[in-house]
Amino acid sequence: MRLKALVMAGAIVVATSSVALAQTDCTKVLPPSPWGPNDQTGATNRVTPAVTKAAAAEIQEGKVVPLSYPLADGVPLFGTRFTKTILTATSLAPGAALGENDLTYMEDTWLSQSHVGTHLDGMGHIGRKDCYYNQIAMGKFINQNSMTKLGLEHLKSFATRGVLIDAVKVLQASGKFKGNSACKKPCLDKGTVLTRADLEAGLKMYNVTLKEGDIVIIHTGWGDLFEQYPAQNALYNSGEPGIGKEAATWLVSQKIVAVGTDTWAVEVIPGEDPKEAFRVHQILLTEAGIHIIENVRTDLMAAEAANTKRATFFFNMTVPRAVGMTGNFVGIDGIR
Amino acid sequence: MLLAALGLAVAGHAQERRWVVAFANVTEEPGVTLEGTGFTGRDVRASFELAARRFPVDLVYYDNQRDRARTLANAEAAVARRVDLFIEYSRDAAATAEIADRLRAARIPILAVNGPVPGAPLYTVDNLAAGRIAGDALGQFALRSWRGRSTLGVLIGDLGAQALGVPERAQGAREALTRHLPSSRVVTLDTHGNPAQVAPLLGKLLAAQPATKLLIATMDDATALAAKGALESAGRLLDAAIVSQGADPSIHGGINDRREIDPANRGSIVIGSVAFLLDRYGYEVLPLAVRMLRGEAVPARTATRHVLITAANVFREYPPYDMN
Repeated sequence: MRLKALVMAGAIVVATSSVALAQTDCTKVLPPSPWGPNDQTGATNRVTPAVTKAAAAEIQEGKVVPLSYPLADGVPLFGTRFTKTILTATSLAPGAALGENDLTYMEDTWLSQSHVGTHLDGMGHIGRKDCYYNQIAMGKFINQNSMTKLGLEHLKSFATRGVLIDAVKVLQASGKFKGNSACKKPCLDKGTVLTRADLEAGLKMYNVTLKEGDIVIIHTGWGDLFEQYPAQNALYNSGEPGIGKEAATWLVSQKIVAVGTDTWAVEVIPGEDPKEAFRVHQILLTEAGIHIIENVRTDLMAAEAANTKRATFFFNMTVPRAVGMTGNFVGIDGIR
Repeated sequence: MLLAALGLAVAGHAQERRWVVAFANVTEEPGVTLEGTGFTGRDVRASFELAARRFPVDLVYYDNQRDRARTLANAEAAVARRVDLFIEYSRDAAATAEIADRLRAARIPILAVNGPVPGAPLYTVDNLAAGRIAGDALGQFALRSWRGRSTLGVLIGDLGAQALGVPERAQGAREALTRHLPSSRVVTLDTHGNPAQVAPLLGKLLAAQPATKLLIATMDDATALAAKGALESAGRLLDAAIVSQGADPSIHGGINDRREIDPANRGSIVIGSVAFLLDRYGYEVLPLAVRMLRGEAVPARTATRHVLITAANVFREYPPYDMN
């Protein structure tokens, strides 16, 4: 009788523990990576030497077009994110120079969250429940400081072809353009959904066909508000034009590496379904391993494309090999 | 032949015709709140603008300005424009009866919002059901936390606001409270729509009930926040639980707002607020409109999906989406 009670008590403890420690079966939540069960890299697997070599053909004049905004205190930031620099310049004080050669130096302390300014969303940024890219149950792979899987150190090169889609021109041409008067240059208003048809029309506008390994950059004009920081930060943050779920799913089918826009989330905000949160992030990052690049400066490349009727370029982006991090600010140039 | 037919079908689906739908809002006057909640006509209109992105409809907006002549003129304008369907949000029964005749003669279908239009399907709040949800939540809380203690049900708000359905809301809350706690009394405190009256009314009750736990059903969120303030001032926060009505943005917010109903504020005495979803009307009403336009049958009455918004589900029901 006592043994039976002990067995029952043990069973209750085991059952309780298994509930307490339960984690999602991520194979039922997310698709596997096309690059195998151990993949932590995602879509940069597509940037093969052949892809980079082919992209190099885009460099015809050597003209470099910046695709990132200055990173400065006061730019629009999501929620409680912050970025703050502190300059150390003590050696400029009288008598503090070093040696007979009077060497002086300065350094910065950069207190910042990683998803600020022009930045890359890595594979560990977005999940569904505790499931992240490649069906990884992330609860087992995080500690107080960082992730032990899916960090930026696993990414390969982004040296590939960039393709610009000018969504402003597309919607102007189709008669669907609705702007926002706070923009100094034409911009799509927040809440404007970019569809697959819009993206295809943008590609057709410059006679481009997407190839596996491309990075797609979409100009919405909304970045004009970023450039006005801090005056329009609240408006910039309040929503944005962007791709909808159908367009995101189509981009996945095109086997691209990343999508970037001149907005803070790439996807349309408010979203198409008020009961879903940032669903396009899940479609691209979590389910397909395709990176998202936010706050990309697109106006210069859009002007370049309009002037030359060529919307492709060599995409040159530096991503720090920040171990265990979910994303980071980046510098991007488009080279023509 | 078959392939040609299939091709036509596909083409037909891809190029579904777009419909022109008129939406006559009850009012878009800034600051004017609707249905005894904190939502405004602008919230309602914004929901139509956003929801329309999902459907093959082009919306035409009218503002009834809570004025009979304007309401009738808007309907005439919609007839002149030959819209495909007219969505009427008006509480003026005389006006909507006239509009029903006018639009029927023009063969324009009508979909009514909150105020019935003779012969037209109605989308509407269900105040009685909303009240019951609140009463259920309070009753269940009392049975869970205060079993054996002396409890008193309190219905507080603009209790005489017949046109807004507040008496039904109160009735639902009373019914549910009584069902859970048959021996508990229920009292009413009528603020006549003035939240400043909450503190004196509740203060007097608290003074008279020093050892009683209060189950407070507030008729709107402004009253809930005022009630919490009054309890705090009286040092009686631990002697009350509040469930509200409306779930408007004054009581819940985004990731950084830290409002009363928030995942980080699970210990609040404001257990929750029953959703009225006026900021989702577009998402609820336009699907009905599109079904009507496609010739499908729709129910004669569709009620709002009232659910209790709590700290546990607020981000699921209202996912924060902006950066501010």
